[in-house]
Amino acid sequence: MEETVFREIAELARKGSGQHIPPTKSYLVEARLSSILRREGLSGVEDLVAILNARPDSKLSIEIAAALTSKRTRFFSERGTLERIAKLVLPEVAKRARDGRIRVWCAGGSTGQEALSLAILINEMGKDALEDVQVEIVTTDICERTSASARSGIFGHFEIQKGLSARRMLAHFTRLDTSEWQASHALASQIGVRTHNLMQSAEGLGMFDVILCRNVITDMTKDARTRALLNAARQLSERGLLFLGETESAAGLIAGLEPSRAIRGGYNRNVDAGDLTVAA
Amino acid sequence: MKSCLIVDDSRVVRKVAGRIVQDLRFETREASDGAEALDACRQQMPDAILLDWSMPVMNGLDFVRALRREHEGRKPVVVFCSTENDAEHIGEALRSGANEFIMKPFDADIIESKFAEVGLI
Repeated sequence: MEETVFREIAELARKGSGQHIPPTKSYLVEARLSSILRREGLSGVEDLVAILNARPDSKLSIEIAAALTSKRTRFFSERGTLERIAKLVLPEVAKRARDGRIRVWCAGGSTGQEALSLAILINEMGKDALEDVQVEIVTTDICERTSASARSGIFGHFEIQKGLSARRMLAHFTRLDTSEWQASHALASQIGVRTHNLMQSAEGLGMFDVILCRNVITDMTKDARTRALLNAARQLSERGLLFLGETESAAGLIAGLEPSRAIRGGYNRNVDAGDLTVAA
Repeated sequence: MKSCLIVDDSRVVRKVAGRIVQDLRFETREASDGAEALDACRQQMPDAILLDWSMPVMNGLDFVRALRREHEGRKPVVVFCSTENDAEHIGEALRSGANEFIMKPFDADIIESKFAEVGLI
Protein backbone atom coordinates (compact mmCIF):
# COMPACT_ATOMS: atom_id res chain seq x y z
CA MET A 1 0.00 0.00 0.00
CA GLU A 2 1.33 3.43 -0.91
CA GLU A 3 2.23 5.67 1.95
CA THR A 4 -0.21 8.39 0.93
CA VAL A 5 -3.04 5.85 0.83
CA PHE A 6 -2.11 4.51 4.23
CA ARG A 7 -1.97 8.04 5.67
CA GLU A 8 -5.46 8.83 4.40
CA ILE A 9 -6.90 5.63 5.84
CA ALA A 10 -5.12 6.12 9.16
CA GLU A 11 -6.55 9.65 9.34
CA LEU A 12 -10.02 8.36 8.60
CA ALA A 13 -9.65 5.84 11.45
CA ARG A 14 -8.40 8.52 13.83
CA LYS A 15 -11.32 10.82 13.07
CA GLY A 16 -13.94 8.09 13.04
CA SER A 17 -13.03 5.93 16.01
CA GLY A 18 -10.04 7.58 17.69
CA GLN A 19 -7.93 4.61 16.68
CA HIS A 20 -4.22 5.08 16.17
CA ILE A 21 -2.82 2.84 13.43
CA PRO A 22 0.99 3.16 13.31
CA PRO A 23 2.68 2.65 9.91
CA THR A 24 4.19 -0.59 11.25
CA LYS A 25 0.66 -1.99 11.39
CA SER A 26 -0.39 -1.03 7.87
CA TYR A 27 -0.82 -4.75 7.13
CA LEU A 28 -3.91 -4.68 9.35
CA VAL A 29 -5.65 -2.27 7.03
CA GLU A 30 -6.07 -4.57 4.04
CA ALA A 31 -7.13 -7.51 6.17
CA ARG A 32 -9.72 -5.54 8.10
CA LEU A 33 -11.14 -3.84 5.00
CA SER A 34 -11.25 -6.96 2.87
CA SER A 35 -14.98 -7.57 3.24
CA ILE A 36 -15.84 -3.95 2.34
CA LEU A 37 -13.50 -4.12 -0.67
CA ARG A 38 -15.15 -7.35 -1.78
CA ARG A 39 -18.65 -5.96 -1.40
CA GLU A 40 -17.78 -2.79 -3.33
CA GLY A 41 -16.02 -4.82 -6.01
CA LEU A 42 -12.72 -3.02 -5.45
CA SER A 43 -9.28 -4.52 -5.89
CA GLY A 44 -7.44 -2.52 -3.25
CA VAL A 45 -7.51 0.08 -0.50
CA GLU A 46 -6.26 2.75 -2.93
CA ASP A 47 -9.52 2.37 -4.92
CA LEU A 48 -11.53 2.88 -1.75
CA VAL A 49 -9.59 6.04 -0.92
CA ALA A 50 -10.03 7.30 -4.50
CA ILE A 51 -13.79 6.77 -4.31
CA LEU A 52 -14.06 8.61 -1.00
CA ASN A 53 -11.97 11.50 -2.32
CA ALA A 54 -14.10 11.80 -5.47
CA ARG A 55 -17.37 11.61 -3.56
CA PRO A 56 -17.27 11.95 0.21
CA ASP A 57 -19.65 9.40 1.73
CA SER A 58 -20.01 9.71 5.45
CA LYS A 59 -21.83 6.40 5.84
CA LEU A 60 -19.02 4.53 4.09
CA SER A 61 -16.38 6.44 6.07
CA ILE A 62 -18.03 5.48 9.35
CA GLU A 63 -18.21 1.88 8.22
CA ILE A 64 -14.52 1.88 7.27
CA ALA A 65 -13.46 3.39 10.61
CA ALA A 66 -15.53 0.75 12.43
CA ALA A 67 -14.14 -2.09 10.36
CA LEU A 68 -10.58 -0.98 11.14
CA THR A 69 -10.97 -1.50 14.90
CA SER A 70 -9.75 -4.69 16.53
CA LYS A 71 -12.36 -7.41 17.01
CA ARG A 72 -9.99 -9.56 18.98
CA THR A 73 -11.63 -11.18 21.99
CA ARG A 74 -12.16 -14.55 23.63
CA PHE A 75 -14.22 -16.12 26.36
CA PHE A 76 -13.08 -15.38 29.92
CA SER A 77 -10.34 -13.04 28.79
CA GLU A 78 -8.46 -11.71 31.85
CA ARG A 79 -10.78 -13.88 33.91
CA GLY A 80 -9.58 -12.62 37.27
CA THR A 81 -11.36 -9.32 36.65
CA LEU A 82 -14.55 -11.06 35.55
CA GLU A 83 -14.54 -13.27 38.63
CA ARG A 84 -13.97 -10.28 40.92
CA ILE A 85 -16.91 -8.52 39.31
CA ALA A 86 -19.22 -11.54 39.58
CA LYS A 87 -18.24 -12.65 43.08
CA LEU A 88 -17.33 -9.42 44.86
CA VAL A 89 -18.88 -6.48 43.05
CA LEU A 90 -22.30 -7.69 41.92
CA PRO A 91 -23.40 -9.14 45.30
CA GLU A 92 -22.59 -5.77 46.91
CA VAL A 93 -24.43 -3.85 44.21
CA ALA A 94 -27.38 -6.24 44.58
CA LYS A 95 -27.74 -5.32 48.26
CA ARG A 96 -28.36 -1.69 47.43
CA ALA A 97 -30.18 -2.17 44.10
CA ARG A 98 -33.38 -0.25 44.69
CA ASP A 99 -35.27 -1.03 41.52
CA GLY A 100 -34.41 -4.74 41.61
CA ARG A 101 -31.88 -4.70 38.82
CA ILE A 102 -28.20 -4.23 38.14
CA ARG A 103 -26.92 -2.82 34.87
CA VAL A 104 -23.55 -3.79 33.37
CA TRP A 105 -22.01 -2.32 30.22
CA CYS A 106 -19.40 -4.13 28.15
CA ALA A 107 -18.04 -1.17 26.15
CA GLY A 108 -16.21 -2.23 23.02
CA GLY A 109 -17.48 -5.75 23.68
CA SER A 110 -16.85 -7.00 20.14
CA THR A 111 -18.67 -10.24 19.31
CA GLY A 112 -20.08 -10.68 22.81
CA GLN A 113 -17.73 -13.16 24.50
CA GLU A 114 -17.13 -10.80 27.43
CA ALA A 115 -20.84 -10.31 28.10
CA LEU A 116 -21.51 -14.04 27.78
CA SER A 117 -18.63 -14.95 30.10
CA LEU A 118 -20.06 -12.65 32.74
CA ALA A 119 -23.56 -14.04 32.19
CA ILE A 120 -22.18 -17.58 32.63
CA LEU A 121 -20.54 -16.65 35.94
CA ILE A 122 -23.76 -15.00 37.15
CA ASN A 123 -25.79 -18.05 36.12
CA GLU A 124 -23.43 -20.38 37.96
CA MET A 125 -23.66 -18.32 41.16
CA GLY A 126 -27.42 -18.85 41.31
CA LYS A 127 -30.12 -16.36 42.14
CA ASP A 128 -29.56 -16.32 45.89
CA ALA A 129 -26.10 -14.79 45.59
CA LEU A 130 -27.67 -11.73 44.01
CA GLU A 131 -30.80 -11.73 46.16
CA ASP A 132 -33.05 -12.28 43.12
CA VAL A 133 -31.85 -9.04 41.56
CA GLN A 134 -31.85 -9.17 37.75
CA VAL A 135 -28.62 -8.37 35.94
CA GLU A 136 -28.95 -6.65 32.60
CA ILE A 137 -25.79 -6.69 30.48
CA VAL A 138 -25.45 -4.33 27.54
CA THR A 139 -22.62 -5.04 25.12
CA THR A 140 -21.71 -2.45 22.52
CA ASP A 141 -19.35 -2.31 19.58
CA ILE A 142 -18.65 0.41 17.08
CA CYS A 143 -19.11 -1.98 14.19
CA GLU A 144 -22.57 -2.90 12.89
CA ARG A 145 -21.42 -6.28 11.58
CA THR A 146 -19.77 -7.15 14.87
CA SER A 147 -22.93 -6.22 16.76
CA ALA A 148 -24.97 -8.43 14.45
CA SER A 149 -22.63 -11.29 15.20
CA ALA A 150 -22.91 -10.66 18.96
CA ARG A 151 -26.69 -10.54 18.64
CA SER A 152 -26.78 -13.95 16.96
CA GLY A 153 -24.93 -15.50 19.89
CA ILE A 154 -23.41 -17.93 17.38
CA PHE A 155 -19.74 -18.92 17.51
CA GLY A 156 -17.63 -20.92 15.11
CA HIS A 157 -15.51 -23.98 15.78
CA PHE A 158 -12.40 -21.99 16.73
CA GLU A 159 -14.04 -19.13 18.66
CA ILE A 160 -16.09 -21.44 20.88
CA GLN A 161 -12.93 -23.29 21.99
CA LYS A 162 -10.94 -20.26 23.07
CA GLY A 163 -11.23 -19.52 26.76
CA LEU A 164 -14.28 -21.71 27.26
CA SER A 165 -14.20 -25.13 28.91
CA ALA A 166 -16.00 -28.05 27.27
CA ARG A 167 -18.25 -28.32 30.34
CA ARG A 168 -19.37 -24.71 30.08
CA MET A 169 -19.77 -25.06 26.34
CA LEU A 170 -22.15 -27.99 26.83
CA ALA A 171 -23.99 -26.33 29.70
CA HIS A 172 -24.61 -23.00 27.99
CA PHE A 173 -24.48 -23.56 24.23
CA THR A 174 -26.27 -25.72 21.68
CA ARG A 175 -24.57 -27.19 18.65
CA LEU A 176 -26.21 -26.19 15.36
CA ASP A 177 -26.32 -28.29 12.19
CA THR A 178 -23.66 -25.98 10.78
CA SER A 179 -21.27 -27.17 13.56
CA GLU A 180 -21.46 -23.71 15.09
CA TRP A 181 -22.55 -23.22 18.69
CA GLN A 182 -25.31 -20.91 19.87
CA ALA A 183 -25.65 -19.36 23.31
CA SER A 184 -28.62 -20.57 25.35
CA HIS A 185 -31.75 -18.49 25.68
CA ALA A 186 -31.04 -18.07 29.40
CA LEU A 187 -27.79 -16.26 28.63
CA ALA A 188 -28.99 -14.37 25.57
CA SER A 189 -32.04 -13.03 27.39
CA GLN A 190 -29.77 -11.24 29.87
CA ILE A 191 -27.76 -9.48 27.18
CA GLY A 192 -28.68 -6.50 25.02
CA VAL A 193 -26.52 -5.64 22.01
CA ARG A 194 -26.11 -2.11 20.63
CA THR A 195 -23.88 -0.44 18.08
CA HIS A 196 -22.14 2.47 19.74
CA ASN A 197 -19.06 4.61 19.09
CA LEU A 198 -17.15 5.43 22.28
CA MET A 199 -16.15 8.77 20.77
CA GLN A 200 -19.78 9.83 21.24
CA SER A 201 -21.85 10.45 24.34
CA ALA A 202 -23.31 7.23 25.75
CA GLU A 203 -26.18 9.00 27.47
CA GLY A 204 -28.67 7.05 25.40
CA LEU A 205 -27.52 3.80 26.96
CA GLY A 206 -28.41 4.97 30.47
CA MET A 207 -26.51 4.58 33.73
CA PHE A 208 -24.54 1.49 34.76
CA ASP A 209 -23.40 -0.05 38.04
CA VAL A 210 -20.43 -1.72 36.36
CA ILE A 211 -18.70 -0.72 33.14
CA LEU A 212 -16.06 -2.87 31.48
CA CYS A 213 -13.94 -1.11 28.87
CA ARG A 214 -11.09 -3.58 28.59
CA ASN A 215 -8.31 -3.44 26.03
CA VAL A 216 -10.29 -0.98 23.96
CA ILE A 217 -8.51 2.34 24.62
CA THR A 218 -5.09 0.75 24.08
CA ASP A 219 -5.41 1.19 20.32
CA MET A 220 -6.49 4.83 20.61
CA THR A 221 -4.71 8.18 20.39
CA LYS A 222 -4.25 9.89 23.76
CA ASP A 223 -7.03 12.40 23.04
CA ALA A 224 -9.37 9.61 22.05
CA ARG A 225 -8.57 7.60 25.18
CA THR A 226 -9.53 10.53 27.34
CA ARG A 227 -12.70 11.10 25.39
CA ALA A 228 -13.72 7.43 25.49
CA LEU A 229 -13.07 7.24 29.24
CA LEU A 230 -14.96 10.45 29.90
CA ASN A 231 -17.94 9.24 27.86
CA ALA A 232 -17.92 5.92 29.71
CA ALA A 233 -17.35 7.32 33.20
CA ARG A 234 -20.26 9.74 32.79
CA GLN A 235 -22.55 6.69 32.65
CA LEU A 236 -21.34 5.34 36.01
CA SER A 237 -24.11 5.26 38.58
CA GLU A 238 -23.50 6.42 42.14
CA ARG A 239 -20.76 4.10 43.50
CA GLY A 240 -20.51 2.44 40.07
CA LEU A 241 -17.21 0.85 39.03
CA LEU A 242 -15.30 1.11 35.77
CA PHE A 243 -12.81 -1.63 34.78
CA LEU A 244 -10.06 -1.36 32.20
CA GLY A 245 -7.77 -4.05 30.80
CA GLU A 246 -5.08 -5.45 33.12
CA THR A 247 -2.33 -3.48 31.41
CA GLU A 248 -4.34 -0.28 31.00
CA SER A 249 -4.60 2.70 33.31
CA ALA A 250 -6.84 5.73 33.58
CA ALA A 251 -4.36 7.47 35.84
CA GLY A 252 -4.16 11.19 35.19
CA LEU A 253 -6.65 11.18 32.32
CA ILE A 254 -9.96 12.13 33.95
CA ALA A 255 -10.40 14.51 36.89
CA GLY A 256 -12.86 12.95 39.31
CA LEU A 257 -12.18 9.33 38.35
CA GLU A 258 -10.07 7.47 40.91
CA PRO A 259 -8.88 3.91 41.53
CA SER A 260 -11.30 2.10 43.85
CA ARG A 261 -9.96 1.38 47.33
CA ALA A 262 -12.13 -1.69 47.71
CA ILE A 263 -11.87 -3.46 44.36
CA ARG A 264 -8.57 -4.02 42.61
CA GLY A 265 -8.59 -2.75 39.03
CA GLY A 266 -11.82 -0.77 39.46
CA TYR A 267 -12.31 2.99 39.18
CA ASN A 268 -14.92 5.10 41.00
CA ARG A 269 -16.02 8.59 40.24
CA ASN A 270 -15.80 10.86 43.28
CA VAL A 271 -17.72 13.78 41.76
CA ASP A 272 -21.13 14.01 40.09
CA ALA A 273 -21.19 12.36 36.69
CA GLY A 274 -21.70 15.73 35.03
CA ASP A 275 -18.66 17.19 36.79
CA LEU A 276 -16.15 14.70 35.39
CA THR A 277 -13.69 16.50 33.16
CA VAL A 278 -10.54 15.93 31.17
CA ALA A 279 -7.60 16.25 33.59
CA ALA A 280 -5.55 19.38 33.10
CA MET B 1 9.42 -30.51 32.86
CA LYS B 2 5.87 -31.90 32.60
CA SER B 3 5.18 -34.84 30.34
CA CYS B 4 2.42 -35.34 27.79
CA LEU B 5 1.43 -38.56 26.06
CA ILE B 6 -0.03 -37.97 22.60
CA VAL B 7 -2.39 -40.71 21.50
CA ASP B 8 -3.61 -40.69 17.90
CA ASP B 9 -3.56 -43.21 15.08
CA SER B 10 -2.51 -40.51 12.63
CA ARG B 11 1.23 -39.93 12.52
CA VAL B 12 0.65 -36.43 11.13
CA VAL B 13 -1.66 -35.45 13.98
CA ARG B 14 0.83 -36.81 16.53
CA LYS B 15 3.57 -34.78 14.92
CA VAL B 16 1.58 -31.53 14.73
CA ALA B 17 0.16 -31.86 18.25
CA GLY B 18 3.60 -32.90 19.54
CA ARG B 19 5.21 -29.70 18.30
CA ILE B 20 2.49 -27.53 19.80
CA VAL B 21 2.70 -29.28 23.16
CA GLN B 22 6.51 -29.08 23.14
CA ASP B 23 6.20 -25.32 22.60
CA LEU B 24 4.20 -25.30 25.83
CA ARG B 25 7.27 -26.85 27.48
CA PHE B 26 6.10 -30.44 27.74
CA GLU B 27 8.19 -33.51 27.15
CA THR B 28 6.20 -35.71 24.76
CA ARG B 29 5.75 -39.42 24.11
CA GLU B 30 3.52 -40.95 21.45
CA ALA B 31 1.14 -43.88 21.17
CA SER B 32 -0.93 -44.87 18.14
CA ASP B 33 -3.86 -46.53 19.92
CA GLY B 34 -5.39 -47.00 23.37
CA ALA B 35 -3.60 -50.26 24.11
CA GLU B 36 -0.19 -48.76 23.36
CA ALA B 37 -1.13 -45.75 25.44
CA LEU B 38 -2.06 -47.95 28.38
CA ASP B 39 1.32 -49.70 28.16
CA ALA B 40 3.06 -46.32 28.08
CA CYS B 41 1.12 -45.21 31.16
CA ARG B 42 2.04 -48.40 33.05
CA GLN B 43 5.70 -47.66 32.39
CA GLN B 44 5.35 -44.06 33.50
CA MET B 45 2.25 -42.01 34.25
CA PRO B 46 2.35 -38.76 32.23
CA ASP B 47 1.05 -35.45 33.58
CA ALA B 48 -1.17 -34.97 30.56
CA ILE B 49 -2.70 -37.11 27.84
CA LEU B 50 -3.95 -35.72 24.54
CA LEU B 51 -6.35 -38.38 23.34
CA ASP B 52 -8.00 -39.20 20.00
CA TRP B 53 -11.40 -40.90 20.03
CA SER B 54 -11.56 -43.43 17.20
CA MET B 55 -8.48 -45.60 16.91
CA PRO B 56 -7.93 -49.27 16.07
CA VAL B 57 -7.35 -51.91 18.80
CA MET B 58 -8.56 -49.73 21.70
CA ASN B 59 -10.43 -46.46 21.22
CA GLY B 60 -10.03 -43.34 23.32
CA LEU B 61 -13.15 -43.85 25.40
CA ASP B 62 -12.22 -47.41 26.37
CA PHE B 63 -8.71 -46.20 27.11
CA VAL B 64 -9.75 -43.45 29.50
CA ARG B 65 -12.10 -45.79 31.37
CA ALA B 66 -9.31 -48.37 31.70
CA LEU B 67 -6.78 -45.72 32.67
CA ARG B 68 -8.91 -44.41 35.51
CA ARG B 69 -8.95 -47.91 37.03
CA GLU B 70 -5.16 -48.19 36.95
CA HIS B 71 -2.90 -47.55 39.92
CA GLU B 72 -2.29 -43.74 39.85
CA GLY B 73 -4.59 -43.64 36.83
CA ARG B 74 -6.50 -40.65 38.22
CA LYS B 75 -3.38 -38.52 38.10
CA PRO B 76 -3.04 -37.63 34.40
CA VAL B 77 -5.13 -34.80 33.03
CA VAL B 78 -6.88 -36.24 29.99
CA VAL B 79 -7.79 -33.92 27.13
CA PHE B 80 -9.80 -35.55 24.38
CA CYS B 81 -9.03 -34.36 20.89
CA SER B 82 -11.54 -35.67 18.44
CA THR B 83 -13.63 -35.17 15.32
CA GLU B 84 -16.60 -36.74 17.17
CA ASN B 85 -17.67 -33.32 18.31
CA ASP B 86 -21.40 -33.30 18.91
CA ALA B 87 -22.75 -32.63 22.38
CA GLU B 88 -23.51 -36.32 23.06
CA HIS B 89 -19.95 -37.46 22.37
CA ILE B 90 -18.39 -34.60 24.32
CA GLY B 91 -20.67 -35.26 27.28
CA GLU B 92 -19.88 -38.98 27.21
CA ALA B 93 -16.15 -38.28 27.13
CA LEU B 94 -16.37 -35.98 30.15
CA ARG B 95 -18.54 -38.44 32.08
CA SER B 96 -16.09 -41.24 31.32
CA GLY B 97 -13.20 -39.48 33.02
CA ALA B 98 -11.81 -36.97 30.51
CA ASN B 99 -11.03 -33.53 31.94
CA GLU B 100 -11.37 -31.48 28.78
CA PHE B 101 -12.36 -31.82 25.15
CA ILE B 102 -10.86 -30.32 22.01
CA MET B 103 -12.84 -30.51 18.81
CA LYS B 104 -10.71 -31.22 15.76
CA PRO B 105 -9.40 -29.43 13.79
CA PHE B 106 -7.35 -27.60 16.42
CA ASP B 107 -4.67 -24.93 16.38
CA ALA B 108 -1.95 -23.98 18.85
CA ASP B 109 -4.17 -21.37 20.47
CA ILE B 110 -6.92 -23.89 21.22
CA ILE B 111 -4.52 -26.41 22.77
CA GLU B 112 -2.97 -23.67 24.88
CA SER B 113 -6.40 -22.39 25.95
CA LYS B 114 -7.64 -25.86 26.91
CA PHE B 115 -4.43 -26.77 28.74
CA ALA B 116 -4.79 -23.55 30.72
CA GLU B 117 -8.43 -24.41 31.44
CA VAL B 118 -7.40 -27.60 33.23
CA GLY B 119 -4.45 -26.02 35.00
CA LEU B 120 -1.68 -27.74 33.02
CA ILE B 121 -0.05 -24.42 32.19
